[in-house]
Amino acid sequence: MRPEFGSLTEHVVEFGRRLRAAGVLCGPAEVADALRALQAVDVVDREAFRLALRSTLPHRREDLRVFDALFEPYWMGRATRQQPQDARDAPSQAQAEPLAGAPSVQRWAQGAEDGEQEVPGYSPLEILGRKDFSTFREDELDAIARLVVAIARRIATRWSRRRRRARRSHALDMRRTLRLHLRWGGAFPELAFQRRRVRKHRIVLLCDVSGSMDVYSRFLIQFVYALQGAVGRVESFVFSTSLTRVTRELRTPSLRGALDRLSRSVPNWSGGTKIGASLRQFLDHYGGLLDRRTVVLIVSDGWDTGEVDVLRRAMHEIRARAARVIWLNPLLGSPGYQPLTRGMQAALPYVDVFASAHNADSLRELEHALGKRLRAG
Amino acid sequence: MGDVEARPTLGDVEAILAALAHEGYIADREIATAIYLSIELHKPLLVEGAAGVGKTEIAKVMARALGTDLIRLQCYEGLDVHTALYEWNYQKQMLRIRLEEGSGRSPEEKEQTIFSEPFLLRRPLLQAITHPRAPVLLIDEVDRVDEEFEAFLLEVLSDWQITIPEIGTIRAQHVPYVVLTSNRTRELSDALRRRCLYLWIDYPTFEKELAIVLRKVPGVSRRLAEQIAAFLHAARALDLQKVPGVAETLDWSAALIRLHRDHLDREAVERTLGCLFKHHEDQRVAKGPWLDRALAVIAEAQRDGQALEASLDRLERLAKG
Repeated sequence: MRPEFGSLTEHVVEFGRRLRAAGVLCGPAEVADALRALQAVDVVDREAFRLALRSTLPHRREDLRVFDALFEPYWMGRATRQQPQDARDAPSQAQAEPLAGAPSVQRWAQGAEDGEQEVPGYSPLEILGRKDFSTFREDELDAIARLVVAIARRIATRWSRRRRRARRSHALDMRRTLRLHLRWGGAFPELAFQRRRVRKHRIVLLCDVSGSMDVYSRFLIQFVYALQGAVGRVESFVFSTSLTRVTRELRTPSLRGALDRLSRSVPNWSGGTKIGASLRQFLDHYGGLLDRRTVVLIVSDGWDTGEVDVLRRAMHEIRARAARVIWLNPLLGSPGYQPLTRGMQAALPYVDVFASAHNADSLRELEHALGKRLRAG
Repeated sequence: MGDVEARPTLGDVEAILAALAHEGYIADREIATAIYLSIELHKPLLVEGAAGVGKTEIAKVMARALGTDLIRLQCYEGLDVHTALYEWNYQKQMLRIRLEEGSGRSPEEKEQTIFSEPFLLRRPLLQAITHPRAPVLLIDEVDRVDEEFEAFLLEVLSDWQITIPEIGTIRAQHVPYVVLTSNRTRELSDALRRRCLYLWIDYPTFEKELAIVLRKVPGVSRRLAEQIAAFLHAARALDLQKVPGVAETLDWSAALIRLHRDHLDREAVERTLGCLFKHHEDQRVAKGPWLDRALAVIAEAQRDGQALEASLDRLERLAKG
C-alpha cells in the first residue's frame, strides 16, 4: 500500500470522507469493503468501477442520490489511467496487510472524528419571529404535566407477543410444563403458564405551532415536553408552514432549557399553517418512523391554508402506515365549535381518536377515553 | 466462519448476468454487480425497493445460479425466535416420556434425552446455519420485524452461531449467502445497514420492462409488449396510492393475451384495470381523461413507425397532468 498522494486507495478514502461529510452513512469499514470490491472487478471498466463503489459505500436510498451527485465531479478530475496499476498493486499487499489497518484508513477515521459534520436538516432561513418563552410559569402546569404522563402511558402501552412466566391462567408454557412433567412421570400434576408482556408503542407527535394556535402554544409545548419525558420513544415535530424535528431540543432536563433551545432552532414560529405540506414533509423525510406500533398524535386546530387534497392524501398514508392516529384539537373545547374547517373535514376520516385538548379537564377526559379505547384495541 | 475457499463463485459480473438471464431474470449491471460482490466479499445483500420490482426473485435466482438451496425466512410483525430459529417438538418429547415410563432412568437422564437434537424443530435460521453446504438465506421483508428481533438478526449475521440453552452453541459449518429485502415500511437500523451491501431496485426502464414482458409472457407480440411497457411507464407517473410493479405488468400482460387483445384501447384497459391498480381511487384516476390521450400517443407513435422511446416523455407529462 503506497500512501503517496494520488494513489487509487487515497482517492477512494478521500471520496469516502466526502460522502460522509455530505451525510452518507459511510466509514472506514465501507471504504475497506470498497477497496476489496475494486480488487474483484475490472477497474479499467469505468462502469464496473462506479458500480463497485456504489454497492459498497452507501447503504440507503437517500445516500445513493448523494453518491450519484458526487461521483462524477469527484472522479472526473482523477485520471483513471493510473488506476489499473494501483489496483493491481493493491491485492497482493492487501492480503498481507489488513485494509482497515492501513495508515490512510486510520487517518480517515481520525479525520472523521475531528471533522465530524452535522448534516444540515433545515436551514434556519425561515426565522420570522422568535418567541419569548420566559413567561412560562412552571408551577401552574404541574397538574397538567401529571395528566400528560398518565395519557402518555395509556397511549404507549400495548400487549407484547413475547411472553413471560405467570402464575395462573393465560397461555400454557409448554417448555416448562414438560420439564415439570418429567419430574413426576405420568400425569400433568402442574401446568406452567406464561402471559404476554406489556410492550411500548412508539409515539410520533406532530404539533401545530402556527399563528392560529398561538394561544395554546405554551401549553402545547408543555404537553410535548411532558410526553417525551414520560415515554422513552417519542419523536416530536412542530410545524407551521414547514416541519421541524424537535426531539433533541426537548431532550433536556428542564423545561426552560428546552424552551430556550426550541426558540432558537424552530423557524417560522407562529407563521401561517400548511398542515398538508408539513405532513407530507414528515412522510418524505421521516416516514420510516411509522410502523404498526406507532401512534401518531397530531395536535392542531385544522386551519390549513394549503391544498386540502394534499392533507387528505398525507392523512391517508399516515393512517395506512401507523397503528393509530389521534388528533387533539384545542378548539374543540370552545362552545359552538364544529370541526368544519376544510382541513379538519378532510383529515377526520383518517383519525381514530378525535379529542379536545384545551385545558386540564379536557385532558382528563381524553385519558379516560384512551383507557377504554386502547384496551379494546 | 465457514470455509471461504470451498465456496463456488460465478467468475465475474458478466457471468452473473449470463446466469441471471439463463434463469429468466432480466437484470442490469447494477444488480449483477451487487450480487457478484455480495458473493465475493461474503457480505449480506440488502435489497430495497417498492413492492413488485423483483427483490425476492434475486435470492431465488442466486440460489439456482449457485446450484444451492434457498432457505426463506418470511418476516412479519411479531416474528419470534421460536418461528425463526428453533422450537422443541413437544409431541415427540411427550411420546418419549410415555415410552420411558418405568424404564427406571432418572429424571435428569430423561430430560437430557428429550432436550437433544433429535427433538429439535429447525426453523429457517437454524436450517441455514446447519446446512451441509452454503445455502442462500432469504430474509424477506425484514422491515416488518420489531427492533429487538432486528438486533437478534444482526447478532446471527455477525457471529453465525446460535446458542440453545439445552444443547449448547451451534456454529455455522458454511456461512450462507444472505439476501435481505425491505419495503421500507420501517427504517432499518444503521448497524444492520452497515452489515450489508446495498442495492436499490427501481421500477424498470422502458427497455428493461419491454425485455421482461417479451421474455416472460408467452404469445405476446412485440407491438403489444411495447405498448404495455410504454403504458406502464406513463401510468407510474400518475398520482397513485399503489404504483404497479413488475408483477402487475406480467399479470396484466397475461390478462390481455387471455382476452385475445393485440393492442391497447380504452375498453381493453378498463376490463383489465384490476390487474394493475389495486385501489378504487387509483382505478378512478387511471380511467380519467388522460387515458384516451395516452393511448392516442402510443398508437400514433407506432403507426408512424417511430420508436416508442421518443414518446415516453410526452406520455409522462400527460400522466402528470
